[in-house]
Amino acid sequence: MNALIEELKQLIIDSLDLEDVTAADIDAKAPLFGNGGLGLDSIDALELGVAIQKKYHVKLDANSADTRQHFHSVENLAKFITSQQTG
Amino acid sequence: MAIRQPESRALPQVLGGRAPVDRAGFRRRVHVLRAIVDLHPARRWALVCDDAGWFGAGLLALAGRGRSIVLPQAPQAGSLAGTGIEAVLTDRPGSFRDFETLAVAEPSDDFQPEPPLPDDETRVEFYTSGSSGAPKCVPKAYLQLRLEVEALERQWGAALGDAAVVGTVPHHHLYGLLFRVLWPLSAGRPFAADMCLQPGELRSATAARRCAVVSSPAFLSRLTDHAGLPPAAQVAGLFSSGAPLPDPTAQALGEGWGRAAVEVYGSTETGGVAWRAWDGPQDRPWWTPIRGVAAELREDDAGPRLWARSACTYAQDWMPTGDLARFGGDGRFMLLGRADDVLKFEDKRVSLGEMRTHLLQHPAVAEARLLLLPGRRQHIGAVVVLQPEQRGAERGETRETLRAWMAERYEALLIPRKWRFPDALPDNAMGKTEQARLLALFEDAP
Repeated sequence: MNALIEELKQLIIDSLDLEDVTAADIDAKAPLFGNGGLGLDSIDALELGVAIQKKYHVKLDANSADTRQHFHSVENLAKFITSQQTG
Repeated sequence: MAIRQPESRALPQVLGGRAPVDRAGFRRRVHVLRAIVDLHPARRWALVCDDAGWFGAGLLALAGRGRSIVLPQAPQAGSLAGTGIEAVLTDRPGSFRDFETLAVAEPSDDFQPEPPLPDDETRVEFYTSGSSGAPKCVPKAYLQLRLEVEALERQWGAALGDAAVVGTVPHHHLYGLLFRVLWPLSAGRPFAADMCLQPGELRSATAARRCAVVSSPAFLSRLTDHAGLPPAAQVAGLFSSGAPLPDPTAQALGEGWGRAAVEVYGSTETGGVAWRAWDGPQDRPWWTPIRGVAAELREDDAGPRLWARSACTYAQDWMPTGDLARFGGDGRFMLLGRADDVLKFEDKRVSLGEMRTHLLQHPAVAEARLLLLPGRRQHIGAVVVLQPEQRGAERGETRETLRAWMAERYEALLIPRKWRFPDALPDNAMGKTEQARLLALFEDAP
């Protein structure tokens, strides 16, 4: 799980072209979108979703409320990916 | 013989959200919001709801009570400043502390109210990026919105049938408001309360029933090989507006996925003007005016500018668009480029001048320039000269402070992603040179 979390942080930095941000700066529990976190926008969410599906071969076929939950933080994303891969 | 269900009862109206709402439930919402509005003396109301179902109910409630409705440029508290509103009707009451706020509330009783009858004279104000330094107010009468959705129904209603409407665009701008909320309400189609952020949410929605999808190039162009989309057979119609779809995306949808996207050309001022759908490369540049819309060219300083007369410009007659165009012999036209300096960024109309004005109002900022940065994905970059006493501050903190300042007014998409803090701006004696020098500041890591 921790390895996955670190990998996801790097995926976020690389796929979203974040500047001035290192993996160590990203709090796995902090919100990715909106205030108080990385401040990512809706297009970041879309691009991140595409990148995650490509890399981990998971399907994000949820309703809006579930997707928002999965994308809340790096930790939630890691939990979601783990559950899809083992399930 | 089949027994027809009474129309207002079990038919779904709003899907998703905290709980689905049927048509009677929606009317109850409008009824309760009207009661809230009636008890308050405010004449000018901002309407800010994240949930499209509440947004629609709020709009109909206010429009039935002779109030003016203000739809801010972004659903942020900062964008309400200067709009002269007296109260905010919202499903996010904690966000607007500086204003008189009234929260939407779910009705508790199971009563059967009459259908709402909005007043055609109601003034609805949209705010959008103008070419000057301030957001531009585009006022409409409710009648214009009503005529516009009737025009949409005439053009595409038969194709949509009883499909549910889902969308990937926000509902507080004209396109989303018309296509995601008012059109389905008027035609009796259910619509989704939440905006879809991921293609999987569209798949999940269409798995349950046939849907019409209201989208934009920012979303569709990122679905490589349309792999993320639901099966075309489950989609009654795919709409795209805000900016032209890139040709490869339009072709991939039309030929690979199996259903061409209907692109709608228009603006907040004009409403929908024309449409096109992929039918081979030779037809690609040509836009067909929507039934009932008239379009013509008028020469001005910028060149042959397109003017339109539509349901949305009703009573205001002909209105200029921001685009230059040329007509073919068959009534269709081709767009030749923007006539003003307002640019399109991820389908949104943006005035960098307006954003710069806001940035300059921060006390730490002495000078500032904003520019579009090229790259795999375009970003907005900010070059900021700080006040001398601020220059010792830690750069990351300064950047966060300024980002938060911009976030009070603009949605996340428009907040500059990259920041540079030189001690002076590159010499601006020559306009183009300056632009190149500003860009050069972003070539290296900060």
